[in-house]
Amino acid sequence: MKTRFRFLAIVVAVLSIRVLAAGDACALDIKRMTLSNGAVLLVSEQHQLPMVTMAIAFDAGSRRDPADHPGLASLTAECLTLGTRDLTPEEFNRKVDFMGSSVSVDGGRDFASAGMTSLSKYRDDTLHLLAQALTQPRLAPEDIERKRAEQVAAIKAQEEQPGYVAGVKFNRMLFGDSPYGHPSEGYADSVEKLTPEDIHSFYDAHYKMGSAVIAVAGDVNADEIKAKLEQEFASLSGAVPAQPEPPAPNVAAGLHPELIDRNVAQANIIMGFGGIARSNPDYYKIQVMNYILGGGGFASRLTQVVRSKAGLAYSIGSGFEAAKFPGSFEVSLQTKNQSASEAIRLVLQQIRQIQEQQVSQHDIDAAKKYLIGSFPLKIDRLSSIAHFMLQIELYGLGLDYADRYPKLIDAVTRVDILAVAKKYLHPDAINLVVVANQQEAGIKAAALETGQPR
Amino acid sequence: MHRQVFFRLGLPAFVFLTALWMTISCPAATAGISDNVKTTTLPNGIRVLVLENHKAPVATFNVFYKVGSRNEQFGKTGLSHLVEHLMFRGTKKLKPEEFSNIIQENGGMDNAFTTQDYTDYFEVINKDHLDVPIGLEADRMANFDPKGFDSERAVVAEERRMRTEDNPEDALEEVTQAQAFVEHPYHWPVVGWMQDIQHLTLKDALDYHSMYYSPQNAIIVAVGDFDAAKVTKQIAEQFGSIKNGAKPLPMPLVEPPQDGQRRTILRHAANLPAFIEGWHVPTLKSSDAYALEVAGEILSDGKSSRLYKDLVIDKRMVVGAGADYDMTSFDPPLFAISGQLRPGVKVDDVLAEVDTQVKQMQDTTVTDDELQKAKNLEQAQFVYGQDSIFREAMMLGVYEMLGDYRMVDRYLEGIEKVTAADVQRVMQKYLVAQNRTIGLLEPTGVLPPGAGHGGGEGGMVHHSASIGGAL
Repeated sequence: MKTRFRFLAIVVAVLSIRVLAAGDACALDIKRMTLSNGAVLLVSEQHQLPMVTMAIAFDAGSRRDPADHPGLASLTAECLTLGTRDLTPEEFNRKVDFMGSSVSVDGGRDFASAGMTSLSKYRDDTLHLLAQALTQPRLAPEDIERKRAEQVAAIKAQEEQPGYVAGVKFNRMLFGDSPYGHPSEGYADSVEKLTPEDIHSFYDAHYKMGSAVIAVAGDVNADEIKAKLEQEFASLSGAVPAQPEPPAPNVAAGLHPELIDRNVAQANIIMGFGGIARSNPDYYKIQVMNYILGGGGFASRLTQVVRSKAGLAYSIGSGFEAAKFPGSFEVSLQTKNQSASEAIRLVLQQIRQIQEQQVSQHDIDAAKKYLIGSFPLKIDRLSSIAHFMLQIELYGLGLDYADRYPKLIDAVTRVDILAVAKKYLHPDAINLVVVANQQEAGIKAAALETGQPR
Repeated sequence: MHRQVFFRLGLPAFVFLTALWMTISCPAATAGISDNVKTTTLPNGIRVLVLENHKAPVATFNVFYKVGSRNEQFGKTGLSHLVEHLMFRGTKKLKPEEFSNIIQENGGMDNAFTTQDYTDYFEVINKDHLDVPIGLEADRMANFDPKGFDSERAVVAEERRMRTEDNPEDALEEVTQAQAFVEHPYHWPVVGWMQDIQHLTLKDALDYHSMYYSPQNAIIVAVGDFDAAKVTKQIAEQFGSIKNGAKPLPMPLVEPPQDGQRRTILRHAANLPAFIEGWHVPTLKSSDAYALEVAGEILSDGKSSRLYKDLVIDKRMVVGAGADYDMTSFDPPLFAISGQLRPGVKVDDVLAEVDTQVKQMQDTTVTDDELQKAKNLEQAQFVYGQDSIFREAMMLGVYEMLGDYRMVDRYLEGIEKVTAADVQRVMQKYLVAQNRTIGLLEPTGVLPPGAGHGGGEGGMVHHSASIGGAL
């Protein structure tokens, strides 16, 4: 069965950009505890359904990849669920599936996340399997080799997607050899070279409970689950040494185009520059500003101008990737090859405009109403509650974040927005990646730079 | 956790024909949920289903119209989907996109989607503001007046370029579906053929809206943290006086039985070959539906499923493989098995391996353990589904369009009754060569024709040029 979402891509973009919002009406009751192995545990008891979700963030994301081993963190994460000391991968999978549970470990960029979902009646059994995978992974050479081949094939499959190619190139241009410069999953040729020894040593060095955060949401009792976790994870103690913060990405003055030729109907365009870390005190001002510029779906200027008025794109959005270290700001869109230059010009024009002209009272009010009012939507499922709790701990937002957030957003003024637009947007020092049929696209960089409409 | 701005760097499992719908046939509702649904039929024919769920301070409002691409005419394909887009382009009262702006200012999100069978408009919103979407949805049912037709049609063309033309898997699905269905409108894609999209007119859209977007053709479903009586009253106030237009045209077409295996090849810009095999199967109107659902589970749900274990783990032939079946399709759909090949694997070898797997399920019964595992998975997913009010609303709406929302409660029962012999029987009955359509993707590389050196062995081709000199 096929469905056509009108603007799924944009909504996804918005949801992923707008991070955490809150309203007093729905402050969660969160219990925060520390395990004896050093892990921080956050629990939200929710007894409406007989199920439980757990997420554990390890300081084992791809920013920890050794420079010559892009993809190691991600492959290690994938390998951890390939059986345990006592169970072959096949036995492990069968046990998980038989309960209708899910058990996974995924490599992200800042953190690796392990997790489970199960019915209440299978909670302890599922947790035991997850804990066994994390504390006593099998990591057999033949299984690692198989998973590695799978990962290489998956990367090659991804490389058929023009948007993926554009994203990889954009991050490479912006971050270079720093920890965010390569895709989490690595490159096909770098993953091919990873050995079982590499996996073992990455696992030994980075899967430490002393640096981990555990979030549990669902049908549990906080003290009971704490006791259970103490017992299951006693062996994974120790912490991962802090990672020095890399220099913030910096784009030299000018427009830096990277044109990649592909047999496609649409130009996939990403343009942007260095952004902010989550800890940046201007974060909330930037969030409101970006909502107006390109983060707010149909309420955003980029969508209004490029999609609604010009009909040039189905999906367009902008976002600051605010993570542990300063990330990117990027605008991403797709348009037919022939319209690429026109769309790029319109984007540059909008970035300049929000730097030059104060936003209207209506625009700022609408942005704040959305950001504050939509908070309940972010914690309406167990998985999103668990995710929310992880964010609070990992980025030091505090258990009262839900109460503080509306005030933080409400305090932003039109003057603030103009100031952060000037400070954090750089249309005159910008990277541009275009994956397109270049002959059809016929991009002339000099013409783009003016940002003037044709 | 690292938040990816556009999810463009993820490595999602490759599954064809996925979308939300794979999971829809596993209801998001508890057994006995229908007892808690309050129903009303307004004098103009709108069915209203309201369900309280106090899990979180949110609510969802859905308006389903029983119109999708199966209701379109030859030469006007994609009209249902275009009308869905135009529903956001203004009414007699509202300017283009004002609808979404108002919803967002009230702390909500809105969207819509079109399928072969129906179109759903929905909002998820802070429970205090549910009156806002109720008023706005009534307005666009009664006062449709879209502006900017040409630019919205261009947006839809861009959507087709993104989702289909630059997406080899989707392009393959499209041609395979067109081979499998000859007389039935499932022949054409929901988004429509490009040339049809480009020739659709505003008049087409207005006529379509007046025929299909009337109260008698709509079902409203609200689920969330509210008082059911109060919400029902609000809905009746806003929708009760909307007048019906002409009766929607019936859609009587039935796909004739397939009279022999069909095989189609798509040559497309890509690096890796891919395949889809589809067999015509019945909907939940047949009791075979549950056995087909269980067969699909055993084939592809979880890492211990047969296809995953065989094709991904043991034989290392594909990047991912899936079996897909949706018993809630309005008309008989395909049971499909699909996958994307790993570099260097021959497509004939993969098809032979799929045959072996299918034959095994025809020759011998599945084990008790496998059968129980499939049922356990269905039961667990049934509970997990209730964690989302949107999914609950979807389930109720889909089953009500099929005739009765209370069928939700019979789903698990139907699954529970399936025996190993049933699974074997439906595999023998439907998954036969005569009833099969095979679609193969033959990759032509990713470089434009005439762009110089060849497409490379499945690797990323960086054919970049620096332009503009020093900037």
